[in-house]
Amino acid sequence: MKKQLLIACIALLSFTAIPLLSQAQAAEKQATIKVSGEVSAPLTIDAAYLQKFTQTTVIRKDRDGKDHTYSGVIVSEILKNAGVTLGPELKGENLTKYLLVEASDGYQVIFALAELDKGYTDRAIILADQVDGKPLAPGDGPYRIIVQDEKKPARCIKQVTAMQIHFIK
Amino acid sequence: MNPLKHNPFLNRQKLKSGRVMFLLVVFVSLSSWCYLAVGIETGAYVLVYPSNFGNRIQIPANNPTTKQGVYLGRMLFYENRLSAANTVSCGSCHHQDKAFTDGLAFSKGVDNVLTSRNSMSLANLLWARKFFWDGRADGLEEQAITPLTNPHEMGQSLDASAQKIGKIAAYPPLFKLVYGDSSITGDRIVKAIAQFERTLISANSRYDQYLRSAYQPTPDELKGMELFNNAPQPEKGIRGANCSHCHGGVKTYMELFHNNGLDSIPKDAGIAELTSLPADRGRFKVPTLRNIALTAPYMHDGRFKTLDQVLDHYSDHILESASLSSFLRGESNEPGGTSLKLQPLEKKQIIAFLNMLTDQDFIHNPDFADPHLLTSKNKKY
Repeated sequence: MKKQLLIACIALLSFTAIPLLSQAQAAEKQATIKVSGEVSAPLTIDAAYLQKFTQTTVIRKDRDGKDHTYSGVIVSEILKNAGVTLGPELKGENLTKYLLVEASDGYQVIFALAELDKGYTDRAIILADQVDGKPLAPGDGPYRIIVQDEKKPARCIKQVTAMQIHFIK
Repeated sequence: MNPLKHNPFLNRQKLKSGRVMFLLVVFVSLSSWCYLAVGIETGAYVLVYPSNFGNRIQIPANNPTTKQGVYLGRMLFYENRLSAANTVSCGSCHHQDKAFTDGLAFSKGVDNVLTSRNSMSLANLLWARKFFWDGRADGLEEQAITPLTNPHEMGQSLDASAQKIGKIAAYPPLFKLVYGDSSITGDRIVKAIAQFERTLISANSRYDQYLRSAYQPTPDELKGMELFNNAPQPEKGIRGANCSHCHGGVKTYMELFHNNGLDSIPKDAGIAELTSLPADRGRFKVPTLRNIALTAPYMHDGRFKTLDQVLDHYSDHILESASLSSFLRGESNEPGGTSLKLQPLEKKQIIAFLNMLTDQDFIHNPDFADPHLLTSKNKKY
């Protein structure tokens, strides 16, 4: 009888504790990236989603003048999953589409789709989540675009929150 | 036989008073028609601005800017009856002479409770996409709803406002002129206010004049401009305050949102209140610096009374936290320094440049002034 009471108590406690735990998690939300616009399947990207892709590394200098190894996922691979017209479809009218990347601080940069497509260029543009084997610093991450070999770092946009595909008007 | 009935004199009198009434009605309706047709210009409103401002302007397709819309919007912007106690209008917290701020840290609404954030200056909103200190409204139309209905600001529902305005003789014909029929709705009220706000263009400060080679800055102003635009590089002997990182460009507005190190543990979480993201804690809109010398006190909570205090903050008192914007960390004019360390003269020079951003034409433009005040003034003379 006592044992049963104990089990009941534990069960009751665990029921009340679970919602408390999940509330605590909700308070510390994780950043995500919304992929939208001219896509056939809008996406919300999080850390688990990115793990599904092949990881690629890009080495480039940061503002400190030193080489850093960034790792993440080729942007066009993510966009293909959203149904963006890349690969054989990237011709004609589709060449007037661009990717608008937005950061949580409001900063925005754009890339023409052809800048992202392997059929047009070998230059890798990745969505990085790690630098030198560690997660990006809070002020840079959790996600940052890294453009291989681009001289200025201005399009290596930090704290990415949205990627939108649009036609030029 | 009733002698009165056939009294030709009396009949003539009746006829006369009938005619007079008829003429009066014709006169009143004609004059009101003329007032609308002649007194108020109609047609597309041409927004004039320098080419270096760029054309990334924000006008929703369902609210084109018209002269009559701007006229109505201006009337409504300064209309106290849009508030619950008929005491507060948009103009109560946005005074033209202060570049549409009110000189207070927080403002009192209809219930005498203070607002939670500082009243923002209004200038060049035509280029802004996100409004409020936390950027929560996506357009001027959406923005206007909040102060109109917030219980601590104007405190009146849009429906109540529409009803109240509908009973004031001047408004139904104006709404008809703007929207094609005299129906008054909350949606039409905010659209007209937004149209007026889009015309608040500030583009003739001494800085604008300098950019079009019409003003020669003083040596202090020039030095201040250089410090404003340069990032500090002590190893190369370049001194700077890097203000342009967030306030750059000819509009001195880039629509960015940052944690500028005011607090380690912010009392007001800013954008994080909306997103619950740790990186958004203490993050607020980076406001325009247009007319900045007129818009004290400064910051989202009006904590700094003067530009000297603002410069002291950025130079020496940035507070560390996990969400501090990274470009503010470790920027210094001294090798290995942890803060900007501007010299007193450099701060004064930057403030001299900031004073170049004051646009006298903007704060004195009669097209932006309270039209109700103008009519009552006119009546006096």
